[in-house]
Amino acid sequence: MDRDQLTTELKQHIIKYLNLLEKTPADIIDDQPLFGDGLGLDSIDSIELVVLLEREYGIKINDPKDGRKIFTSIITMVDYIIANRTK
Amino acid sequence: MGRVVVTGMGVISALGDSVLSNHDALVKGTCGISKGDLVRSKYTDNLLFGEVKIENERFKSLFNTKNPGVTRTSLLALHAIEEAIKDSGLDNTQLSTYDTALIGASTVGGMCQTDELYNDAKSETTGSVYMASYDCASVTLFLRERFGIKGVINTINTACSSSANAIMYGAQLIQNGFAKRAIVGGVDSLAKFTINGFNSLGILSPGYCKPFDKDRNGLNLGEGAAFMVLEREEDVKGKKYYCSVAGYCNANDAFHPSSLSENGEGPYQAMKGALQKANLLPSSIGFINTHGTGTENNDEVESKAMIRIFENVPPFASSKSKIGHTLGASAAVEAVFSILALHHGEVYPGLNFSNCIESTMLIPVRNTENKKLDHVMSNSFGFGGNCTSLIFSKD
Amino acid sequence: MFIHRSSCISPQHTFGNVDMDTCVIPENNILKVIEPKYAGIPLNILRRMGKAVRLGVGAALPLLTGSEKPDGVIIGSANGGMEDCVKFLNQIIEYEEGRLTPTNFVQSTPNAIAAQIGLTTSNTGFNITHIHRGLAFENALLNAIIMLRENKNASYLVGGVDEVSSYNYNLERLDGWYKKEKVTGTDLYDSSTEGSIAGEGSAMFIVGNRREGSFMEVRGIRMLHTDDPFEVSTQLREFIAEHGYHDAFLSGENGDVRIQSFYNSCENILDPEIVKLHFKHFTGEHPSTTALALWLAVRFIETQQIPEHFIKGPAISKPLKNILIYNTGKGEQHSFLSLSFVDH
Repeated sequence: MDRDQLTTELKQHIIKYLNLLEKTPADIIDDQPLFGDGLGLDSIDSIELVVLLEREYGIKINDPKDGRKIFTSIITMVDYIIANRTK
Repeated sequence: MGRVVVTGMGVISALGDSVLSNHDALVKGTCGISKGDLVRSKYTDNLLFGEVKIENERFKSLFNTKNPGVTRTSLLALHAIEEAIKDSGLDNTQLSTYDTALIGASTVGGMCQTDELYNDAKSETTGSVYMASYDCASVTLFLRERFGIKGVINTINTACSSSANAIMYGAQLIQNGFAKRAIVGGVDSLAKFTINGFNSLGILSPGYCKPFDKDRNGLNLGEGAAFMVLEREEDVKGKKYYCSVAGYCNANDAFHPSSLSENGEGPYQAMKGALQKANLLPSSIGFINTHGTGTENNDEVESKAMIRIFENVPPFASSKSKIGHTLGASAAVEAVFSILALHHGEVYPGLNFSNCIESTMLIPVRNTENKKLDHVMSNSFGFGGNCTSLIFSKD
Repeated sequence: MFIHRSSCISPQHTFGNVDMDTCVIPENNILKVIEPKYAGIPLNILRRMGKAVRLGVGAALPLLTGSEKPDGVIIGSANGGMEDCVKFLNQIIEYEEGRLTPTNFVQSTPNAIAAQIGLTTSNTGFNITHIHRGLAFENALLNAIIMLRENKNASYLVGGVDEVSSYNYNLERLDGWYKKEKVTGTDLYDSSTEGSIAGEGSAMFIVGNRREGSFMEVRGIRMLHTDDPFEVSTQLREFIAEHGYHDAFLSGENGDVRIQSFYNSCENILDPEIVKLHFKHFTGEHPSTTALALWLAVRFIETQQIPEHFIKGPAISKPLKNILIYNTGKGEQHSFLSLSFVDH
């Protein structure tokens, strides 16, 4: 799977896990901040993203706080998945 | 409106199965938190709980309950309410008049039977014996039937402040003429459902919880029950009573489903309103039983709210360092502890505290001490921003 | 206590363009709500909400526009966010208590409805959830009456919400509370079998002590726990003596042959000229139907338009002014409400 495919797949997972209503992968911009003003995610969403990484890519993040750096944007998430996926 | 007084109390927690044994443990500064022996969960061995070390079968035989669908939650509640009713001296006639109310509270209800619930929810043909017992109302209805109570009956769920609202509602029913007496309280039992729920939020401590400590790392779940009998002061001439329910207030933080706002608006409004209702200045409060769960969010926010209200924050401590967070029971159990403090003129320590939170510098009570108390405050702040503050006063 | 505004989301056309004449037919004996577009709820918040929370917030928001800022939110819901509860339960079992997503857990608690109403409207006032099964909404109403006695200038949002989820539908079905034979509408009342039809819905009210701006006064409420129809009718007699004459009786009869004796014993003590109405063919059966009955009563009194399908008899010959509501779902918990038209 190449980077573009992974990026689209990740966006689809995020839409599903976070139930982002009326959003498609095309609506999520790769370098847009996921938290705060960008996509507007919050602390419960970051826990959900930790679960997403574990269930879909076999990546365990033990302290959810470590997640915030990884979840800065789609780009940082994709980088992290490529480097650490076990599935 | 006349005063509402507390004429009877009953409690069961990780510290003991009676008011006497709980009081003893409070004075000694005992910690009731340990590994889980009875609760069935993957986390029993690697997390700590405030567990009541009595098996369901023992409760069932003690109370001679025949119905196989009775859950642990109902059994714990029965244990506490029996003690409260006996303590108050209410007889069967009084229990079964239309002006005796019963207000319960629980967040778990029969969901302690987590596996059975899963199976029943999916079953095509038959259900387990617990089918009518899963909701929280089933506990209150079980007690109602057992004692033949006929007045206003209700069950409240506002997460961690549930039984505080039960106490408040009971007091209000009496003050507004909808009841002459009210048996009020709450219960929750350890359940796979809640253990996993709190674990998914990442707020369970891997060790002992450390309320108000700068290195606090989460809460310990607990179980228990407490009930108290509230009556109109004019009806209890000659009968002993512990204190009056002098103040109460329910306010909402309106910030986030599972965490409190930075400046603690909900806790602040609840405490302020309770003081107003009791017609007291903050300086009148001699001791605060805090919500103090040991989570990063709650303890800092609660501290800030206390500082906003009290020029000098009075002695305070978290009971949860001794019994864990008993959820729907917590406010009622801790109200009993607060009343014991008031009644005996004592303040009890908060355990596992070493260093204060840097932004607030508050230090809980470290050792049991005698202290003359006229008014005690007990606070409960739950999910959904549900905050309730209670004030109990001596004569 | 005076009702100033009301709103209802139900399996019928009770929200937006209200049409009381058309009756939606149950599908497999379930009446599911017609969910509106929820224009007032930001998508970011809506995405997390389970159905019960959507129904509660959705019905409440139209009442909270403009300058209306009640002093608190008082909700009755027997089951809260049941579907979220089951989703979390499924996660526990399927992932063997491993790492789980928390949203379902947080949204499943019954107080999530009142909490989300408070959150979306930044209401820091009184906030409570009553969950006492078939009397959850009635306790919410009583709580509102008490709060208004203690706070004379206040107003409160009070409501009842319950949803049909696969979980509680299944439990009720296994326990024998739904009919096996197909029901299409008012034929519900002609059946002589056990069980009723399932329903869901949400009704919200703004209540206060002011007469101005109100068409309906709640004169009194009484709740009862008993399985004895004679005790119910005795209590009803006392309730009527306390609150005076009613010209209509809105009955919660639900086609369940085991429960009919309660309704019969009540109707038997009423004056024959009192107009008897029924509503469960319209709402279905669930623990918070009294909330929907109250919405119907307010609508009937305000418009004086009562479609035939609600009327048992006798025919209506003059404007209705005082309605008595009696409801029991399972013959264990009962409530009476006395309502009176406010003459301006």
